[in-house]
Amino acid sequence: MSDRSGVGGGTAVPMTGAVGASNPRVGRRSGGSARRLRAITRKEFIQLGRDRRTVMLMVGMPLVLLLIFGYGIRLSVSNINAELVANNSPAVRTVLEQQHHFSVQPRVAKSVTAARNDLLEGRTSVAVIIGETGEPVKILVDGSDAFVAQNSLEYLRSLTATSGANPLIVDVLYNPTLRSADFMVPAEVGMIMLWVGTVATAIGVVREREQGTLEQLMMTPIRKLELMVGKILPYSALTVMIAIAITVLGLVLFHVPMRGNPFELLLFAIPYLVAALSIGLLVSTVAQNQRQAMQTAAFILLPQVLLSGALFPLSAIPWGIRWVSQMLPLTYFTPITRGMFLKGLGFSELWPQVSVLCAMAVIFTSLAALFFKTRLD
Amino acid sequence: MAVTFEIQARDLVKSFAGVAALDSVSVAVAKGELCGVVGADGAGKTTLLRCIAGLYRPDRGAVLPGRPGRDRVGFCPQGFHMYADLTVDENIDFFGSVYGLDRATLADRRGELLAFAGLGEHRARLAGNLSGGMQQKLTLICSVLHRPPILLLDEPTTGVDPLSRREFWQLVEVLHTSGSTIMMASAYFDEVERCQHVVFLHEGRVLADGSVDELAPSGSTLEATFRERMAEGNAATGPSAVSR
Repeated sequence: MSDRSGVGGGTAVPMTGAVGASNPRVGRRSGGSARRLRAITRKEFIQLGRDRRTVMLMVGMPLVLLLIFGYGIRLSVSNINAELVANNSPAVRTVLEQQHHFSVQPRVAKSVTAARNDLLEGRTSVAVIIGETGEPVKILVDGSDAFVAQNSLEYLRSLTATSGANPLIVDVLYNPTLRSADFMVPAEVGMIMLWVGTVATAIGVVREREQGTLEQLMMTPIRKLELMVGKILPYSALTVMIAIAITVLGLVLFHVPMRGNPFELLLFAIPYLVAALSIGLLVSTVAQNQRQAMQTAAFILLPQVLLSGALFPLSAIPWGIRWVSQMLPLTYFTPITRGMFLKGLGFSELWPQVSVLCAMAVIFTSLAALFFKTRLD
Repeated sequence: MAVTFEIQARDLVKSFAGVAALDSVSVAVAKGELCGVVGADGAGKTTLLRCIAGLYRPDRGAVLPGRPGRDRVGFCPQGFHMYADLTVDENIDFFGSVYGLDRATLADRRGELLAFAGLGEHRARLAGNLSGGMQQKLTLICSVLHRPPILLLDEPTTGVDPLSRREFWQLVEVLHTSGSTIMMASAYFDEVERCQHVVFLHEGRVLADGSVDELAPSGSTLEATFRERMAEGNAATGPSAVSR
């Protein structure tokens, strides 16, 4: 038996000719990095075009969110159920109803006990106890819905102010009507870019691993950077298109103002987009299949939405977890979109946020490059 | 005549979660040789090929002269690993482009290989809609578009019907005749009987290594020798899952 256990020795095998690099039949090679990058990008676009389910998810979900935030969800609650207790007071009733903050029931609850019962059973959220003189003496608020209660307390300030000799004047700047759409649509642009960029990239890479094609790619001369860039370029284009569509729909459907320069916003969005796509690549390094990629992406995206100030003010986030907010790209992109949409801010005001996003783009891309493997183990 | 080894693996050790997949495996394949690695499921065939291809980094040991240049190796993995949502042509275009073939060369190779493989009529079909045998042939085509001097085939005919297996082998033999060094893992003895050089692999170890004549002298078969060596090497091992 032949000794083939190492270098040297062994059976001589007649060579019939090589089909190696020296063989003229290898053929001409052309291009290099650019050609490989173009090949990956082209392939991704073809696959994206055929993957209608993913495209529908990526395009449909932002649209649904836009409509929900624009038409449905109001962060400023209106027509909160209220009732007067013990005595009627046309003056108080007028103050409560004047901005549609409250919907005051025509009947007057007979007693505090009856009012408490109404609050307990959800027939009203606010009960204003009126004294003999027609002045409010005490207000009961249903605290079981903290959101409604917070809004109620805010609105009730005007009632307490008008009850004194010098009514308190409240002047709201930038979004005087406190329209939710003006507040939400700019933030949604950032949320959608994060969602599409992260999820689409993660799924795109994980699908290669799941189907075993990543193994094939690793056997080709494609370099790691080419693969990373080639994978994220089509999703960058998709994300930018969706962000532009959301902006245009926000302007047209909800009349959200765009007081800043939209091209400048597009420029500021680049580091943010790079950070989001790199997070997607990072997700793909830990997820083994598309389901895991979705779950991991959700695990990363949910805190971003909750803790970045996009939905709830940063001041509402406890100090103990405020540091998490400081590490999230959306925390820095939301002031950029809101500042540009509503206040017409530019680089001179927003450079701190843009700088942090640039630093984050570099950090996340470096991490993705570090963890993105070109081996299977 | 001095032997030129195209593939050399020396004392390869590779474990997954503490379980040894390869335990001091050494293999050398001469230039232009067709080498078959046969063993049951879990013997370590795929791990060996992946270590040689550079897809796994061995825990110990070495592949000499190092991880081969990627355009020197063609790898045909177990199962279908092409893009199911791309057509036959698009798959070939993609792999040809990443291997840097210019348009004219790619067109020539495509025509030649598709004709060989009998896939010429299916160029516009999505790869995912091809039969199992056609998918394997497409994988092989994409693996050899760049005419690599080394070809690694990991159980390429598992789950493929007998007719497609025969057609697949015709393709492999054409490649071998043209000078490629081929290392193929298989669970079928009748396939490795076609090889000049056979390696018996069992539970991550090489049981025997030599030519078919050496391993199956007249009156014997590769399978009989394999079972004999397996019994010698590990009396506790149950019946082999290797099939004819």
